[in-house]
Amino acid sequence: MALVILVTTLRRVRSTGALILLALAGAACGQREPTLTIAAALLPNELPAYREALRGFERENGWRVTVVPQQYAEIRRALAAEAVAGTGTLDLVELDVYSLPAAAADVAVLDEAAVTPPLDALAPQAVEAGRIDGLRFLPQRLTWQALLYNHAVLGAPPRTWDELRAVAAAHPGHIGIKGALYEGLTCDVLPFVWAAGGQADAFDDDGARAAFHLFAALAPYLNPQSATFREASIAEAQARGEIVLHLNWPFAMALFASQGLAPDPIRSAPLPRGPAGTATVLGGGYLAVPRRAPQRDRAVALARYLLSQPVQAQLHEQLGWFSARRDVGVGDGGVLLDGFVALRADVRARPGGRDYARLSRLWQEAFRAVAFEHSDPDAVLVATAERWRAERAAEAP
Amino acid sequence: MRRRDAWWLAWPLLAALLLLLGYPIVYALRLAFTDPLTGASPQLVNFSQLARDPLFWQALRNNALLPLASVALELVTALALALFLSQRFRGRAGLRAIVILPFALPEIVVLAMMRYIFVPRGYANAALAALGVSPLDWLRPGSALAWATVVLVDAWHVTPVVFLILLAALAGIPEEIGEAAQLDGAGPLARLWRITLPLLKPALVAALLLRGVDALRIFATPLVLTGVEGVPVLSSYAYHQWADYGNDALAAAAATVLALLSVTLSVPLLRLRAEDA
Repeated sequence: MALVILVTTLRRVRSTGALILLALAGAACGQREPTLTIAAALLPNELPAYREALRGFERENGWRVTVVPQQYAEIRRALAAEAVAGTGTLDLVELDVYSLPAAAADVAVLDEAAVTPPLDALAPQAVEAGRIDGLRFLPQRLTWQALLYNHAVLGAPPRTWDELRAVAAAHPGHIGIKGALYEGLTCDVLPFVWAAGGQADAFDDDGARAAFHLFAALAPYLNPQSATFREASIAEAQARGEIVLHLNWPFAMALFASQGLAPDPIRSAPLPRGPAGTATVLGGGYLAVPRRAPQRDRAVALARYLLSQPVQAQLHEQLGWFSARRDVGVGDGGVLLDGFVALRADVRARPGGRDYARLSRLWQEAFRAVAFEHSDPDAVLVATAERWRAERAAEAP
Repeated sequence: MRRRDAWWLAWPLLAALLLLLGYPIVYALRLAFTDPLTGASPQLVNFSQLARDPLFWQALRNNALLPLASVALELVTALALALFLSQRFRGRAGLRAIVILPFALPEIVVLAMMRYIFVPRGYANAALAALGVSPLDWLRPGSALAWATVVLVDAWHVTPVVFLILLAALAGIPEEIGEAAQLDGAGPLARLWRITLPLLKPALVAALLLRGVDALRIFATPLVLTGVEGVPVLSSYAYHQWADYGNDALAAAAATVLALLSVTLSVPLLRLRAEDA
């Protein structure tokens, strides 16, 4: 019967344009269930597990979720483009914690009551990092750096700054730092400033001075390529045996493991303890609802689902993601991530101000002046502090 | 065909050019002259910020000198190869194919290979070690050796383009001219200097123009081999501002300077070509 109707209809349709319209109308009628679109920074091998984790949400609500895997920078640009265009297609986005201040204007402030739970189950430090003029970002996954060292060469990792100095002196040219002009360098510098009791937004306090004197002491022993090292290139250098230790994110351990280099000879360890303890920089992916999101309430429901205990536990188990939930462990990574697990309590967020990018750049330039141009650390820090104050004064209304 | 009909035929191409070339250029210029904090335009704030950045000045200097060294090396090497491979001998075809091979490889493949060769524990130092020579820090950031390595790799990759232009031009020079000169007692060097090179001049100028303008856009070679900071050039500097700091305006300003540099340096080359024509 249906075939007869179709054939009859087709005979009546005179133009190709009308046929296309008919097809589009049919497709629209068939697409009854609402579709949510989430852009997340997923690697190709992570996508199937992430999609699997979303199945429960689709079943519970009868909504489809389209996952767009992209790099953080691309998601940020798409978000900005949609904000300017005044219309959007993305319901939920995942952003790098570093880009949150810059993206704050393009995402909606969340109603805290609507995201409690899971808000009450998340680590307060991680939640605070997502609060920029109101709660805008929710931590989907956390990450932080640890010390990656060559166990075969060093035996034990340096546990204090003094031990770090001794290791450097014993292995000249084999100490690596991500010294390129980019955010990765700030992530290497701030843990030392914090570990000496310094503040991330004060360049001339005692903590910064102690950290920069340590950098000056390490400078002669740094691998010459340090001035251009980034996450991937420094990991490659350690894999080739050109350096014996550096700071990096968990992905590097996975990379070493895939090359048969971890957990032996390369292992992870906590960062060396400074005069005021140990610290490491908070990284990770945060969820946000774009200002132009077509289905804001449903997007919030999806974020709530993604941060629920079972889903976070599933993502941790299948993808090794560290959760911001206090009731999801981080210790299941085996010996490979020992050093990272030990640092969980020492994770600290970077300052969240809108001028963080400039602050970060000043730390990078100060480090490079001391480490690669061998300038006096005290003079560099005083000059940097003055520059920071002058820039802020110039911008003050 | 009437002129009006010709315009009708050309409009799709013109529209595409305007959309894909004109609009981005205008947008980038607007971005370069806009204060990213206040949105005020036209402003020179991005250019004054560039002027305060030592990395920008390094990039500008390298962008002027790297192409010069690279193109000079390419011209000399390609000329030598073309002169040699224009002779008749057994295995000439195979050798020609080998010379052209680097250009047939995708740039990123060439550069990834070169990184493996020149990293501190790479093949180059392994070869030196086998010869009993101390290893060299080929890619040490900011060093003259890193600079020379970038020139060498860039030249190696694109010399085949110049080689092909010169080889084609050599094939067009009648053999009788050389034979007559030989009968008059001219030696090989005199024939090269007084006959071959003058007759090759149009091809040399064309190769110089083609590669000269192209070399100013150098990007991937220094970036992949040494990172942004090792041997900075304007395009890698602009990329760094865009990718690492999300500073679109400063990236656009650096790109504008590069465009100005390209236009300024292209004019003498174009004049040379016009004079030659």
